[in-house]
Amino acid sequence: MAARLSVAVAVLMATAFVRTEAAAQNDASTPAPRPLRNLTIIAPAAPGGGWDQLAREMQREIDRQRLAAGVQVENVPGAAGTIGLAQLINGRRGDGEALLVNGLVMLGAILWNQSPVSLAQVTPIARLTGEYEIVAVPANSPHRDMRSLVAALRANPAAVSWGGGSAGGTDHLLAGLIVAAAGLDPRRTNYIAFSGGGEAVTALIGGQVTAGISGYSEFAQHIESGRLRAIAISAPRGASDLEVPSLVEQGLDVELANWRAVVAPPGLTEGQREALTAVVERMAHSESWRGTLNRLGWTDSYLAGPAFERFLDSERIRIGRIVARLRGSADGTSAPQVGEWLFPALVLGACAIVLALIVLGRSTSGRDRAAKNAPVVRVALGLVASAALLDPMGFVPSGTVLFACTASAFGSRRRLRDIVLGLTLCAVVYVAFTDGLGVALPAGVLFGRR
Amino acid sequence: METLTALAGGFSVALTPVNLLWSLAGVTLGTAVGVLPGIGPALTVALLLPVTYSLDPTPAFIMFAGIYYGGMYGGSTTSILLNMPGESASVMTAVEGHLMARAGRGGAALATAAIGSFVAGTLATAALTVSAPAMVELALRFGPAEYFALAVLAFVAVAAVLGESRLHGFASLLFGLLLGIIGIDPLTGVPRLTFGIPQLLDGIDVVVVAVGLFAVGEVLYSASRKSVDPEIVTFRAAPWMTRSDWARSWGPWLRGAAIGFPLGALPTGGAEIPTFLSYAVERRLAGNHGEFGRGAIEGVAGPEAANNASAAGALVPLLALGLPTTATAAVMLAAFQQYGLQPGPLLFQHEPRLVWGLIASLYVGNLMLLVLNLPLVGVWVRLLTIPRPFLHASILVLSSAGAYSVNRSAFDVGMLYAIGGIGYLMRCHSIPLAPAIIGVILGPMAEQQLRRALAIGEGSPVVLVTRPVSALLLVVAVVLVVAPAVVARLRRRHRPA
Repeated sequence: MAARLSVAVAVLMATAFVRTEAAAQNDASTPAPRPLRNLTIIAPAAPGGGWDQLAREMQREIDRQRLAAGVQVENVPGAAGTIGLAQLINGRRGDGEALLVNGLVMLGAILWNQSPVSLAQVTPIARLTGEYEIVAVPANSPHRDMRSLVAALRANPAAVSWGGGSAGGTDHLLAGLIVAAAGLDPRRTNYIAFSGGGEAVTALIGGQVTAGISGYSEFAQHIESGRLRAIAISAPRGASDLEVPSLVEQGLDVELANWRAVVAPPGLTEGQREALTAVVERMAHSESWRGTLNRLGWTDSYLAGPAFERFLDSERIRIGRIVARLRGSADGTSAPQVGEWLFPALVLGACAIVLALIVLGRSTSGRDRAAKNAPVVRVALGLVASAALLDPMGFVPSGTVLFACTASAFGSRRRLRDIVLGLTLCAVVYVAFTDGLGVALPAGVLFGRR
Repeated sequence: METLTALAGGFSVALTPVNLLWSLAGVTLGTAVGVLPGIGPALTVALLLPVTYSLDPTPAFIMFAGIYYGGMYGGSTTSILLNMPGESASVMTAVEGHLMARAGRGGAALATAAIGSFVAGTLATAALTVSAPAMVELALRFGPAEYFALAVLAFVAVAAVLGESRLHGFASLLFGLLLGIIGIDPLTGVPRLTFGIPQLLDGIDVVVVAVGLFAVGEVLYSASRKSVDPEIVTFRAAPWMTRSDWARSWGPWLRGAAIGFPLGALPTGGAEIPTFLSYAVERRLAGNHGEFGRGAIEGVAGPEAANNASAAGALVPLLALGLPTTATAAVMLAAFQQYGLQPGPLLFQHEPRLVWGLIASLYVGNLMLLVLNLPLVGVWVRLLTIPRPFLHASILVLSSAGAYSVNRSAFDVGMLYAIGGIGYLMRCHSIPLAPAIIGVILGPMAEQQLRRALAIGEGSPVVLVTRPVSALLLVVAVVLVVAPAVVARLRRRHRPA
């Protein structure tokens, strides 16, 4: 009992702690009436990345300027943001209190993975930031400009390895564009995808790859400290105040900006859309937002309304073209890379052999004779029921069913007590996760959508 | 000398009563959150980022360091007592730790985990103090070829945990490798074995696999044997570490720290490989005489120490290069930027007070962890006195909530149950579970790094042996495979004489 109490106390402490922190920020003065009372900004990525950072900066800014109340950030990580996008399209239709952070990376992933959802299905709100890409080499590299890198590329495309972020992302697209602009088949780009910018930057500093591509902010301090040398920027001629010559100036007709934007769910009324746009616009035009952008080294590229819609359309066509050229079909001219099916084939083959050996040697491994099936079936029923109930009914009913089934499988005979205990536990867990940790468990029928 | 003066300055910052309170709050929060599967320190720190708006940098980072360490330790508590690893780094702890808990030695297991974490964390933080720049140079020499060699070494080393039947162990490993393939191939962006299910595009989270196999499988297995299985003993004899426990623990602690810190400092090291290697080392050192397989304290002390030491190691690339190598480090980087600070080689010069305050707060956080957790060991162990129907039911409910929180997806909960069912079948057929987890973690790493290495080497596998570090690691791996056979043959040849 003491143990259970201490767990409960710890959870409550955690809850109370986070709540007071939240309250401390909100209650500085009485809030004025405003249209949005429950704005959720969805960052379709795990905490820590660029989209998450943009979402949290927006939350902070909108909160500080009191442009909307109860602003929350929700992380929906997965598949370069397309899981979050799918959720916005399918689960939040007509919800005028939600914004989804997205950008070129998501557009690239949609096209690259031929995703069933697309950015044409949502309500565009505004583009917020842009960042040009830098091509950099390690300090001890023989390449001092794009001219020598392109010469090496033309001599042997496979010998020039490009390090950057995930396949189909901005860095990959730029590598393909450069190779194409050098007059080579983009399929021969020897692009090495790393997970996360940090890994790619380390590989570049360590001289593991010939050249690296990333946003300036990832490279900045390493360029400053002399470990890396920037040899090109993907900005239009004269658009950047950095002391790095653009690709265009070095004879390669390539421009690319890694833009980030916010969109809203589909099916909004004109009023809902205007309310969201107004909040974002007032935030983006404030002095303090400019300060935030400066601090993070992001460029302001605010664009809203029909202009933003036109921009989205043109990017979709342009990026779609690059992706199609980069993918192509594998033939003799492609990069020197091991295909993605070799390893799965090896594992599946080994699985078949081991299974065969196990089946042949069956006699040796007998099933546990002491095992009883009835209680297992009861727990399994609880698991199936709870999985089925989780989304439609919510966490609390589904967890209670699971609790009661499991308790009865282990010999508990007092149904009512089990249900009450399960209900209590699930309610505590629900409150602790949803309010304390900011992980919204499915609310279902009991609590309703908040 | 200069370093020591700077560190002393750091302590004078960290040891103010207010900052101690922040540290305590961080450690408490971290432990409470680490107990929940699927909710790691990264999420907690991200949650508390808004705090930084109203707090000075120093206390904020002191609290974050506390959360980091607390979260690491909280995961091992549930691994030991409930066989429910809260995160992938505490999987190896569950293997021997839960056996100890079942045998009534949960108190000793928790104590050696707490003290080992403290010892290793302190040693690693000390190493961070003196060797961060040197470690960075070493870490930079690690490219795809070296990571592949390291993964091969880990595979070979953990062959020891394959269980009594090599075939069964291999089957489990293959199952893990298969699960690891699921999702978008990061090198080409092609979905593999996802069967058109969008939730599978990012693969199955290791936490879902670990909690499913261990916790859910365990509940099902207990249910099948409830009439024959003896009640779990809470305490057998001493609730605390005995003299022999101490004697058997300190070696693993030190070795764990030595393995954990340098590997943690590698930009893509992570905390898992050090725990695998530490477990494998302890198991080999124990030979056939040890208690491994029945609850050996060495199998808890080593991996726990390695885990905590690698957490300190992960701060090397963050502080010295500004490179976040774990999710938590990434969030801390965001917090640095919140204050307009850019971690990196220049941070030591620009903000010495903050950097040394942070390093000092790591020492303090470690101490707080010990102060908070040792008195609680007895309380935690009493978790096992909860009547079994409620204990098992609560494990399932908490596992479900944790699995859901990984990706906010009900699909993962269904996945958790399905994997739990497989875990149950595996246990029924005496197929060990740990190799499956190792396969899930190491498989994708080995495959991707090999393919990267080959692409960089223009398709030629020669790169694996021409690079010194990679060649050395591969030689060690080969020796590990060949040596036992050679030794056995030599013995046989000498015996008749």
